[in-house]
Amino acid sequence: MRHVIFRVEKERYGLPLSAVREVVVPPARFTRVPRAPSAITGVMNLRGRVVTVVELRQLLNLPDSPTPPARVVLLDRGRRDLGLLVTDVDGIEAVERVSTAPGKLTPAIRGVARLGGLGVTVLDPEGLDAAVVALFTHSK
Amino acid sequence: MTMDMSRYLGLFISEATEHLESLGRDLVQLEREGTATVVDSMFRHAHSVKGMASSMGFESIAILAHRVEDLVDAVRQDRARLDRDVVDLLLTAADTMLAQVRAVAENQQPDEASALLTQLGNRVTAMTGKGLATTRVAKVTALKPAGTEAGAAGTAQAGGGAASSSQVAGAPASTASTTGSAAEGVKSADAGASPGSARSPGVVGLAGATVDMGAQGLPLPPDLLAPPGTSSDTASTSGAPSGAAAAVAAAMGLVAPASTDLGDGLKAAASAPVPEAGPVRGASPPRAEPEVRGAMQRWAVRLRIAPTCQVPGVRAFLVHKRLTNLGTLVDLRPALEELKAGRIPDGYIQLELETTAGDTGIHASLRNVAEVEVVSVKPAVAAPAPAVAAPAASEAARASPDATARTVRVRTELLDYFLDTVGELMLATARLREVGKVLPENARPALEEGVYRLHTLVKDLHDKVMTARMTPLSLITDRLPRAARDIARRKEREVDLVITGAEIELDRAILDELADPLMHLLRNCIDHGLESPEERIAAKKGPRGRVLVAVKRARDRVIIEIEDDGRGMDPGKLKSAAVARGLLSVETAARMTDREAFLLSCLPGVSTAKDITDISGRGVGMDAVKRVVENVGGTLEIDSEKGRGTRFTLRLPLTVAVVHLLLVEVGEEVFGLPIAKVVGATEADGEALSRSRETALLPHGNSLLPVHSLDTLVGVPAPPRQGARPFVVMDADSGRVALAVDRLLGQEEVVLKPLSRPLDLLPGLSGVTILGSGRPVFILDVPRLLSA
Repeated sequence: MRHVIFRVEKERYGLPLSAVREVVVPPARFTRVPRAPSAITGVMNLRGRVVTVVELRQLLNLPDSPTPPARVVLLDRGRRDLGLLVTDVDGIEAVERVSTAPGKLTPAIRGVARLGGLGVTVLDPEGLDAAVVALFTHSK
Repeated sequence: MTMDMSRYLGLFISEATEHLESLGRDLVQLEREGTATVVDSMFRHAHSVKGMASSMGFESIAILAHRVEDLVDAVRQDRARLDRDVVDLLLTAADTMLAQVRAVAENQQPDEASALLTQLGNRVTAMTGKGLATTRVAKVTALKPAGTEAGAAGTAQAGGGAASSSQVAGAPASTASTTGSAAEGVKSADAGASPGSARSPGVVGLAGATVDMGAQGLPLPPDLLAPPGTSSDTASTSGAPSGAAAAVAAAMGLVAPASTDLGDGLKAAASAPVPEAGPVRGASPPRAEPEVRGAMQRWAVRLRIAPTCQVPGVRAFLVHKRLTNLGTLVDLRPALEELKAGRIPDGYIQLELETTAGDTGIHASLRNVAEVEVVSVKPAVAAPAPAVAAPAASEAARASPDATARTVRVRTELLDYFLDTVGELMLATARLREVGKVLPENARPALEEGVYRLHTLVKDLHDKVMTARMTPLSLITDRLPRAARDIARRKEREVDLVITGAEIELDRAILDELADPLMHLLRNCIDHGLESPEERIAAKKGPRGRVLVAVKRARDRVIIEIEDDGRGMDPGKLKSAAVARGLLSVETAARMTDREAFLLSCLPGVSTAKDITDISGRGVGMDAVKRVVENVGGTLEIDSEKGRGTRFTLRLPLTVAVVHLLLVEVGEEVFGLPIAKVVGATEADGEALSRSRETALLPHGNSLLPVHSLDTLVGVPAPPRQGARPFVVMDADSGRVALAVDRLLGQEEVVLKPLSRPLDLLPGLSGVTILGSGRPVFILDVPRLLSA
């Protein structure tokens, strides 16, 4: 299955191509969302739509990074306008044979796969979605 | 059925739902003031549902509708039979059918509801003293021709029944009904009482015509289902359903499979041994016999309904029905809808009729319609249209030509999409204008002119889309009488609900939001406002309580008042409840006006415990009512007088899409505050303000307002400030508050966008918009920010 491969710092991640609407450059500044959890970077205006952008690094509980994120991966989730802030996007690759990921099990992660000799963490679109909603409901 | 029915399913669901809801409304109205028209209307609704359901092959719905029809018919014959239990039973049946339709909508098997069927059946038996014949609604494919008929009428109906899918032939109890599968005694009471008594030739005509049209693959308008309602001839009742079902089937476009099945059905019916069929067939209208159509002639008929007539609509309808029995109405003025509503200018009705009956036949058919004068019957120029196309075209024309030409049904999602898109067009235009500002001076005018033109067009389009979205309040108030009745019965209250102004229109989005709050307010009025009849008598009031729902239009606002004449609210109790829960200080409570105190009932937890259990699970309390009203840009006021009653006043904007905002800056962020809630703005030195328990107090008028810093409220970092800064004074749940902001940016009219998930999970936001600069800005719900 074809996946969009992107990076958060050095780590590579993949999302099924069908779950990604497009990849855009983040705006100079985001509009902050009042009282939102810290993983929410803010909202941006994408051709008249208000897209909520989540920092993937924080969503996956990765350590702070020095390089500023340079791309927003927009998820294709119906009317739900959600974008993931990532370091960079590598391209589209076919990913087969996904095996269990190491570490704590979270619904956002489907597993790991081998790609060009290197590992890639395959994300689960529904799980990501649920993880974002969970951010909001738990912070209350 | 072999054909793909899913195409018609949506139509079936929406239409059946409408009919069933109307049926429920009629029932409640009937209980209050039983008039013949209401009973007839009920009959029509039950009847239409039956026809549709059977043509769609939903037997369980059709059977239930059929039983309801029986019971309504029994009531029609003697309205004294109507009591609360019957209304309850019918309401339950209507609800069950709605549930069945919903089940079908969700692709599930509708419930058989056999217990209810038995109950309905027993009722009818008890009322009429006659046993019910077995009821079955045959599917088209399962059809067998009715073998032997008792009387000519049966034949006609068998033809009709076979043509449609609902088999409803009259089988007089006295006669041996043979092939059980097809012969059904539906109107057993009726049919039994008057077997073959002038068995409505119209039924034959209808059924025949339908078959005919069906075979040609031409759709028929549902208008054909001339409800027997207003007519005095009981005979027609049993026959019309079949025609109706077939008409519905055809109207719904079910002609493809029908063409074969119907053909067979007709052949079968025709070839079946039919003694005594001859005379009736001969006398029957031409459309039952396709070959007769050649001899048809068109007549221009002019009629006048006596100006003294009290029920012109009924008379006109009767005329319409009689004439459609004779042949095909080609042109009818005023349109049928207008006629039924009694809107007949000077009482004149003009029509053209294609029939073989001749002018004598026309005169004869109208002879015994009271208060109707036949002005003239003249031969008209026949339509040059080809024979095959003519009936279809004329049928379409007959179904109120004006109405069909003027209105279409549009899915609400499509309207929402239009509004979304137009909103985005507006934003895009604003963006273009902003971009233009950075262009060199000489390049600007051309762009600005273009942008101006675009802006005008988009604004105009926006207005039109908004107009299209306007929906009368009756869409939600129509449900209230039924709800009022249910609540009142449960609480053993007596209540008269009066609704006025329901024809006033509001934006669909607001209307959708209002359904629950209105229901809650009504429940509040009956449950808590009104006293029991005994208490009322003790308080020297009439035993029946009164709830008034009055809708008015005041400039650009719609005002909804919901008022009861019950015991009223006690401001003292509300204050002490709020103080007891720590929501209010004793001093503030003492200063509060009664009006402010009544609004305390909207604070979560202040209403009585009984309140909470009563509404639990519905998710709507007074706090939710207030929030919804404010989120759509409206306000809620409560007035009450002890012992005299309570009035809730909702002031609502006509549309939600455009809101007025005060834009404020906090740190680097911009937020919108709804102008409706802003009282004013002042400037003061934040450091110099006096404090009470660490909360700064801003002098405003002759009171001190608690100051909240907007940056901490929204969790946005802002550098500390020295010296004077602006404060915005706003209305919040428990009085006014002052918000400390960094800068006032001015007012703006914006297109509000609803929050999509996950943003809607955050408390304190009521929407988002995009400014001309392209910047998204959140609109704050300050009371919620303060409480959450």
